[in-house]
Amino acid sequence: MLVVGGGIAGISVALNLAEYGAPVYLVDDTPSIGGLMARLDKTFPTNDCSICIQAPMMYEVKKKQNITLLTNTEVRRVEGSAPDFKVRLVQKPRFVDESKCKGCGKCAEACPVTVQDELDGRIGGKRKLVSIPFPQAVPNTYVVDNACRFGKKRADGACIGSCVVDCSQCRECQIAKCVVACRKEGAEAVLLWQKERIIDVRVRSIVIATGVDSYRPPEGPYGYGVFQNVLTNYQFERLMNAGGPMVGNIARPSDGKHPHRIAWIQCVGREAGAPVKYCSKVCCMIATKQSIIAKEHDPSVDAVILYNNLKAYGKGFYTFFRRAQEHGVRYVKGRPADVFENPETKALTIVFEDLDKGKVEELEVDILVLSTGLVPGTRTAKIAKALKLPLDEHGFIKEKDPICKPLETAVKGIYVCGGAGGPIDISESVSQAAAVSLKAISGGD
Amino acid sequence: MAGQKAQGAGRKAQGKEQGAGREARGNEEGTRVKGRGDAGPSQSPAPCASSLAPSPLAPCTLRPAPCRIGVFVCDCGSNIAATVDVPAVVEDARKQAGVVHAEEGKWICSVDFLSRIQNAVKEQKLDRVVVACCTPRTHEPTFKATVKEAGLNPFLLEFVSIREQSSWVHKFDRPEATRVAKDLVKMGIAKARLLEPAECVRIPVGKEALVIGGGVSGMSAAVGLAEQGIKVVLVEKTDRLGGLLNGLDMLAPHTHSAEKLVSDLEQKVKGNPQIRLFLSTQVEDIKGYVGNYKVRISGQAEPFTISTIIAATGMEELRPSGFNYGAVPTVMTLLEFERKLKTGWNPGDVAFIGCVESRNEKRGCCNVGCMAGLQAASAVRTGFPQNKVGYFYPEISLEGTGVAAFEDAVRRHGLKLFRFADDAYPTVEKGAAGLIVTARDILSGPEVRFPANTVVLITGYKGTEEAPKLKGLLKVSSDNDGFFQEAHIKLRPLDFAAEGVYLCGCARSPKDVRTSIEEGMGAAMRALIPMNKGHVESEGIVSVIDLGNCSKCGLCAKVCPYNAIELVDKAPDVIQAICKGCGTCAAECPKDCIQIIHFTDEQIGAQVEEALKEDPGQKIVAFCCHWCALGAVDMAGVNRSEYPPNVRIIRVMCSGRVDAAWVRRALELKAAAVLIMGCEFPTCHYIDGNYKAEKRVERMIKSLGKKGLPADRIRTVWLSAADGPKFVATMKALAEELEL
Ligand SMILES: Cc1cc2nc3c(=O)[nH]c(=O)nc-3n(C[C@H](O)[C@H](O)[C@H](O)COP(=O)(O)OP(=O)(O)OC[C@H]3O[C@@H](n4cnc5c(N)ncnc54)[C@H](O)[C@@H]3O)c2cc1C
Ligand SMILES: Cc1cc2nc3c(=O)[nH]c(=O)nc-3n(C[C@H](O)[C@H](O)[C@H](O)COP(=O)(O)OP(=O)(O)OC[C@H]3O[C@@H](n4cnc5c(N)ncnc54)[C@H](O)[C@@H]3O)c2cc1C
Ligand code: SF4
Ligand code: SF4
Ligand code: SF4
Ligand code: SF4
Repeated sequence: MLVVGGGIAGISVALNLAEYGAPVYLVDDTPSIGGLMARLDKTFPTNDCSICIQAPMMYEVKKKQNITLLTNTEVRRVEGSAPDFKVRLVQKPRFVDESKCKGCGKCAEACPVTVQDELDGRIGGKRKLVSIPFPQAVPNTYVVDNACRFGKKRADGACIGSCVVDCSQCRECQIAKCVVACRKEGAEAVLLWQKERIIDVRVRSIVIATGVDSYRPPEGPYGYGVFQNVLTNYQFERLMNAGGPMVGNIARPSDGKHPHRIAWIQCVGREAGAPVKYCSKVCCMIATKQSIIAKEHDPSVDAVILYNNLKAYGKGFYTFFRRAQEHGVRYVKGRPADVFENPETKALTIVFEDLDKGKVEELEVDILVLSTGLVPGTRTAKIAKALKLPLDEHGFIKEKDPICKPLETAVKGIYVCGGAGGPIDISESVSQAAAVSLKAISGGD
Repeated sequence: MAGQKAQGAGRKAQGKEQGAGREARGNEEGTRVKGRGDAGPSQSPAPCASSLAPSPLAPCTLRPAPCRIGVFVCDCGSNIAATVDVPAVVEDARKQAGVVHAEEGKWICSVDFLSRIQNAVKEQKLDRVVVACCTPRTHEPTFKATVKEAGLNPFLLEFVSIREQSSWVHKFDRPEATRVAKDLVKMGIAKARLLEPAECVRIPVGKEALVIGGGVSGMSAAVGLAEQGIKVVLVEKTDRLGGLLNGLDMLAPHTHSAEKLVSDLEQKVKGNPQIRLFLSTQVEDIKGYVGNYKVRISGQAEPFTISTIIAATGMEELRPSGFNYGAVPTVMTLLEFERKLKTGWNPGDVAFIGCVESRNEKRGCCNVGCMAGLQAASAVRTGFPQNKVGYFYPEISLEGTGVAAFEDAVRRHGLKLFRFADDAYPTVEKGAAGLIVTARDILSGPEVRFPANTVVLITGYKGTEEAPKLKGLLKVSSDNDGFFQEAHIKLRPLDFAAEGVYLCGCARSPKDVRTSIEEGMGAAMRALIPMNKGHVESEGIVSVIDLGNCSKCGLCAKVCPYNAIELVDKAPDVIQAICKGCGTCAAECPKDCIQIIHFTDEQIGAQVEEALKEDPGQKIVAFCCHWCALGAVDMAGVNRSEYPPNVRIIRVMCSGRVDAAWVRRALELKAAAVLIMGCEFPTCHYIDGNYKAEKRVERMIKSLGKKGLPADRIRTVWLSAADGPKFVATMKALAEELEL
């Protein structure tokens, strides 16, 4: 069996299959498994800490004998058909030997270049050019930024900036501080000359669990990308996260001050003419969760959620929504019209139509969170292409028959689960993962 | 009764196999079937073996027969060695009673050093191994596998964390860091002396499943299992398969015929010889546990032997109150309406009212009402284009990509949509010609009066009528509305806490057909895992009860979150294969009859004594759960966050294991404070051990206070695995408060 994507859905499939007794390849194209969930703070509808409940499953993946975990690995090509797919996997170099790295971080300590973390950049996340994706990463192995090789980061002060030799030709680097620091530790794990590795496997069935992306709104509307204190829900999630770049101190990006008024605008990206044509269903609960946590950090925070239809569809969701109300979170049926910034205080004013009252109102806040939805991952499109899987009109993997044969793609022996098939929450991802495991072992329909 | 006892004995005789934890899997030649009384390992001479009988928390003394302990202390390159004086730690360890070998290693997890450890075990005949290095959360499996390969039972390994708990967090204080490391290692040695080999306990699981409920979820589960060669008993209380779908016509959002869906599945059920279908039948009695249930159903004299059970009992409509429901026959619920509509009846003009009996203080969104209601409303417009349809709602919940096309279709049907405020439901009155529905429309503003011949109440749902009875039989829990409660709403949605019982479909919570089918298959997969493996097993850390002192109070059985303790004539009996080793039973037992292997009172006691041997007044003894709390401690390490060097951490699997006697002993020994560290609420890796711990600590504070001990020095802290900073802050605050 091959499972593509190591988010909560893919991890669950791999564990189900392995416990059942089937050998599994679990492939993720990033340096660690975990997916979106590893980046979240707490999770609705119970506010369990995300990494607390996910990390044990990640370690379990690592421990299971019949799971072969391949991170930093892409699916290049698939040939054949069920029940005998020939798959070519390509493991991209991480420039650190997984079997030798002790996760000690001496390389990162030595590295002179600090850059903005792509994922947490706007809220202050930083990392070295050699870094670990997050503290609980599995595998617990550092990874060197591809951009650092061949002197490409010279302008930023990278230590190998002046070397004239091609890294792939050299085995005995004396210049790269990470290589030297690691060697000094006796581990010899940093290998700037590591090459990509081609792995050919044969599998009975394939499960696509490549997940979702958080929608990134265009710059301009609602002041996103223009006003510093306008964030997406994903950025706010990272801001709140005790394990994130701000160690859980909710602070205004403009001045690092503690915010007293926070508002959420729901359904961003679904306005007339905007690209998202469906309800992502989790964003209402994400805002609810974030508002509760903000209130728990500081009960005096004024938290307002401007929404149209509140989706509290899942088990325990409505109770969760009521819990937010009990915390004093204000839910206002409102249609936002515009957002202004006070250039001095950097506070934001939202102009909106209050549907219950039937009039236009204004609201001043310190942080504005845009509740953006879940969209198909760009890498999902890539894998769909490699596997010749049709996509639905929104760009998610298309199911053959969503009622009678859920989770089956157009190709026999290839299945989909989790966010790759459409917006979804964690609980549903895990249920789907169990169901899809049954499909994968039965191999048919 | 007699039959039951005999069966219990049979399980004991065959149910225990000796192996060695999880690693044994896949290499089963080494496992042996053993009787219960017979505890020694085959490989190790076990000179230190003691009975598992509970012993009072006596000061740690060396066992009568000498141990041969090997201690391996890691430099982790310079990660440990740069801060901790490793040679001094090694020297100190060497002096401890029972230690015959102590050694420093640059990277003790490296392949060459691991074989060095194995050689030392063999050559020096070590019978206990202590490794002092990073964190058990990542490295314990490696070392366990290593000692096992060298012929030692893996439970004779003790893991000491001196990187995360010392060198990384006391970087600027070499003497103190070294002192902490020495203490931790000595505590590990003290425990190691008392370690016992543990066995992996198994019970066999056959290939027979019971599915209760013949709706789409139950049918999908039954078919899924049967196709994998499982014998299925499918019990349906009514005289036909299909459940709710029997009352429906076209299903939203894909306009699929409900009848076709049911008949397709029905064919698969009836065509599969592995499935025995019992219609018009109820489950009368369930006894036993995973792999060995005896299930009696109505109409059958002989009970079935069943290995796993899936509850797929679906849901029922609530009975609405108000709206003239019950008084006027043309006011009906959605399901009543659907059933009538299916017969070709013309309802006239129809008003739908959404969210009846839902979205209030009692229960949430019914999850299917909007879709089902809009589907029915559209069906009226399609079948009777001249009829007017008014649709009153406070909120419309249609989500996901599947509904986009459906929403467009609904729009085209020309329904009149009115949105009322959450607290202002429409009223339904009898008018001259029929009914009048009145409400304020918040979208347009004014009050709307809509005349209708039929009023449809989109009503919320509750679990099956038999939920209370089934709940008792299955020993599971449910919410106020009779929906069954899963083990963990996110990560174990289709499992009950107890092994061997699963749930799916609307028996969990209201949902659409697609998800019900998915969950049916998912539950089948979950049930298939133990049935395909042929057994369930626990990892050796399990509960052992000595009935000698037992007063048969039954508290242990009551607190066990996994139903792993059976009461046979009121006497508790642990089904070790399904025990998860949380230890909450042991902490609860008022008579101290229960021990947890690898975390016995004696072993923990030895750690407490050792920790407080010198300068107790400077030391905080912390009982820390293996999961989130230790995660936070580790994270503080990874972040290299400094905190005062006063804490000595003793690992337990769950904060629910922490026994009042340990706390008392630590206070008697004059510890500066005792800290109980568990997972942050609501998370607990053993369902609710932390909640139990919290209550127990409250009781401890009272009772120990009365005994004149400084109970104000008992503290708790609940941490998430990302709470490194909070742990650090707690340590700093405590040290400051206690003036350490
Ligand atoms: C801000 C935010 C907050 C949220 N909060 C909650 C919450 O509180 N509760 C809740 O239930 N849900 C929440 N969600 C939703 C939750 O994150 C998703 O339901 C869940 O992550 C979906 O899991 P997944 O495994 O399907 O996808 P992902 O988590 O996206 O994982 C997909 C994995 O596949 C890998 N991958 C992608 N493409 C490829 C490829 N081509 N080849 C190999 N690997 C690939 C990725 O690297 C990733 O590891 C939240 C979402 C967001 C954005
Ligand atoms: C009015 C209405 C309209 C709907 N419309 C749609 C729609 O358009 N699209 C859609 O996707 N979904 C719709 N649904 C939801 C859909 O009906 C459910 O998702 C699906 O029927 C659930 O299947 P189930 O097997 O979980 O439960 P059920 O269908 O409720 O089946 C449970 C079965 O278990 C049996 N049972 C109960 N207790 C016992 C017991 N103690 N012993 C033995 N047997 C027992 C019951 O008799 C029943 O046969 C609608 C639901 C309703 C109420
Ligand atoms: S080569 Fe130098 S700059 Fe690049 S990652 Fe290594 S230490 Fe950092
Ligand atoms: S790896 Fe080789 S080529 Fe690259 S910087 Fe080091 S010495 Fe130069
Ligand atoms: S990772 Fe652990 S075992 Fe390995 S060298 Fe470091 S401390 Fe030692
Ligand atoms: S309470 Fe915990 S330790 Fe005791 S029997 Fe139950 S699962 Fe085992």
